[in-house]
Amino acid sequence: MKPRTSASSQGPRGGRDCAWTVLCTLTLLGLLAALPAEAQEAATEPAYRAFPLIGSRLAVWAVAQLHLNFAAFILGVPIFAVIIEIVGWRTGEGRYDWLSHELVKLTFAAFSTTALLGALLLFLFVGYYPRFWTYMTSIFFPTYWIYALLFFAETFTVYLWYYGWDWLAGPRKWIHVGLGVLSNLFGTAILVVANSWVTFMISPAGITESGALKGSVWAAINNFTWMPINIHRLIANIVFGGTIAAAYAAFRFLAAKTDEERARYDWMGYIGNFVALSAFIVLPFAGYYLGREIYAFNQTMGITMMGGFMSWLWIIQAILIGILFLGSNYYLWLGMERIPGSERYRKYVPPMLIVLTLGFMIWATPRSLVVTLDEARAMGGTHHPVLGVLGVMSAKNTVVNLMILTTFLSYILYRRANKVPTKPWVRTGMAVQWAAFGLAGAVVVFYGVYGYFVESIVRIGFSVYQVVAVLGALVLVMALDIPMFRGARSTGTIRWGTIAPRSQYVLILLAVTFTWLMGLMGFARSGIRQHWHVYGVMRDTSVDAVTPALGYAANVITLVTIAFFALVMFIFWLGGLAEKGTASAHGHAPAPAIAGGRAPDA
Amino acid sequence: MRVPVGVKVGAFAVAIMGSYTYFANSIPQIESRPPQELSLEGGSVTPAQLVKAGEEIYTTKGTCEICHRIGQKGTRAPDLAGIGGRAGKTKPGLSAKGYIIDSLLHPGNHVVEGYPNIMPAVDKPPIALNRSELWALTAFLQSLGGTVDVALADIPATAGAGGVGGAAAAAVTLPGDPKAGQAIFAGKGTCIACHKAGALGASPVGPDLSQIARIQTPEYIMKKILDPAGSGTVAGYPKGVMPPMFGQSLTAKEYVDLVAFLLTLK
Repeated sequence: MKPRTSASSQGPRGGRDCAWTVLCTLTLLGLLAALPAEAQEAATEPAYRAFPLIGSRLAVWAVAQLHLNFAAFILGVPIFAVIIEIVGWRTGEGRYDWLSHELVKLTFAAFSTTALLGALLLFLFVGYYPRFWTYMTSIFFPTYWIYALLFFAETFTVYLWYYGWDWLAGPRKWIHVGLGVLSNLFGTAILVVANSWVTFMISPAGITESGALKGSVWAAINNFTWMPINIHRLIANIVFGGTIAAAYAAFRFLAAKTDEERARYDWMGYIGNFVALSAFIVLPFAGYYLGREIYAFNQTMGITMMGGFMSWLWIIQAILIGILFLGSNYYLWLGMERIPGSERYRKYVPPMLIVLTLGFMIWATPRSLVVTLDEARAMGGTHHPVLGVLGVMSAKNTVVNLMILTTFLSYILYRRANKVPTKPWVRTGMAVQWAAFGLAGAVVVFYGVYGYFVESIVRIGFSVYQVVAVLGALVLVMALDIPMFRGARSTGTIRWGTIAPRSQYVLILLAVTFTWLMGLMGFARSGIRQHWHVYGVMRDTSVDAVTPALGYAANVITLVTIAFFALVMFIFWLGGLAEKGTASAHGHAPAPAIAGGRAPDA
Repeated sequence: MRVPVGVKVGAFAVAIMGSYTYFANSIPQIESRPPQELSLEGGSVTPAQLVKAGEEIYTTKGTCEICHRIGQKGTRAPDLAGIGGRAGKTKPGLSAKGYIIDSLLHPGNHVVEGYPNIMPAVDKPPIALNRSELWALTAFLQSLGGTVDVALADIPATAGAGGVGGAAAAAVTLPGDPKAGQAIFAGKGTCIACHKAGALGASPVGPDLSQIARIQTPEYIMKKILDPAGSGTVAGYPKGVMPPMFGQSLTAKEYVDLVAFLLTLK
């Protein structure tokens, strides 16, 4: 393995980072300790205070979204960073260790900013929504301490993981990997605790009719949407981390001055996108689960979310997800051009593009169209006589499952682009794989069409069959593919660094789109509560109780996303400055050669 | 001139977000506004006014339209066309208004065959209709093929108890003295000249405030005293009668005492 930058070489900057994070954590703890007194005080205070100029809601919205973006990044990236480290450890390939360290370095730079934004968010709640925060404290106070302790544990483990990279190399590598795993466990636990607060606001549980805690705080934590959001956020964080890491690599690729540098960041971008895509494929299933639990908690809330004033939000979501699907596939197809032997599979690209494009169009078809009165009269209503049929869940569930299957097929073709299997059972294996794809597609289409002829309550259940068919195909095809291509004959090595530069803009498109989508979903999660701080328990009586329209929300999301990327670029730039300084002063170890290296199995 | 990579990437990212933002601004812009509280208690309301108010509640705060249709079979909930006529024949011993009121308060007891048991009690949060609103909504439903004969007294006194914001409203405790506030009500405030408050006063000029703390939020009561015109007028009463000068004529302590007294009227 290549030597890694030593802890001492990171000295001054690392010390500043550490001091910042510890300072933020201590501030947070101090504030938490003062909260009971604060709560007493708040009881005699006004329910709300007005944040200067922009108002309290906008201030909280912006800081919360920024905090969530950073938190998603620093929680998502270490999950796959440790997996990549394990791959490097077991295979002995130094480039995986280099990549893992590179990814943790990115996380590390954003760590103190996340803590700072978290503290700022808490100040805003305590200062501008004192009555709301008093109520939340009356329910969740014990969890504040758990959160703070987990934060300490996470901070120390991550710092030890990062700075101990050289110290715990060689025979002690297992300890180092253990630290990575531990930091991920602490990070996930932090996410789970914070999710309990946010989900309680959507689907409160364990309280009396007047809002007081009935028994243990566990009942309030374990509310209807807690576990679905835990799962959804965990997966989404991995997607988000992957897209940001890939976008970082894309930027470095475009700015690279040597072929070697281009090769290295081409490979890094590929891995980032691979991670994002792998998690992204299962994200819609987690979304179904969350949606189902929202309906189970409160039908009115579910119906308001999908068919009420928020219905158009899902059209925008469909467009964004469609772009993510198309972009991810396009990147894979472009990537195949740098793989000798991939020519065999080019013929599959046009039909896959047709499926994805049609799927995108159907998914983004609204049920009710924006039309003039004359147009509505001519159509006989706001539902188009033909296209209106495509605006319902039966059609949308069907196409999203077909898009998932197509994307998976793209990946399978990419994976085997420069390989020719030599196993004697190849013909059977391939036939079973195609049959699995075909059967899953048939099940998806059958239940999609059948859904038009049954009541909605029956139709909702059909999505489960569709999901099971697709997941089953994914698992079966992959289970066959791995042994089938083990020891396969190579048709040439991947020419890393020779990918078309436009592919790197695709990676940036994916990162920007997913970040924007996260902002939109944050608005959806918060907006379904409408004029309630805690749904059905604590009413929002502030001047901001109106849930804004999508245009306003989009303006806010865009501004915050721009601020997020500006901050990220600044932090990465700072990180780069420190790296340059330490590299010259301490003789930074060169990154491993990628170009002409062995094609990654990933 | 060579454009730096950072500028190209930045412009590209802004263009992507700009297109999403443009699209989001070009589709129907629908806001979700908090529903207004309706108070009819103590007021003289005609059946026509009541039905009109009920129809408004049906389409707005009651959120009934999310599942129910009138004259069209719904997939989630039954068609309500003619409910006023058939309600009296649905359950033996239960009058039309009795059936409708109980269906609104305890929907699980009256699930129509073929439909799921998904309707929430409308007097509980998050819908949280108050007694006045339940009265008006019942009148509207009776008007769909039946005779409007529901009176406020038909609505159980316990209905709508949770409809004022739950913990938020319950948590409000003012430092005022309700006893002193009662004196303000009957004396310096001259409220008694127009309003009744339990055993206090009998004037029909303004709405009866005997249960004002049950049907209105503390925020509303406080605002109403200081800004009567800006807080709306109870249906059935003339606009602009309540004087707007209490913010000047009452001291801070007297104002807080008066609010504390009004919050005892449940």
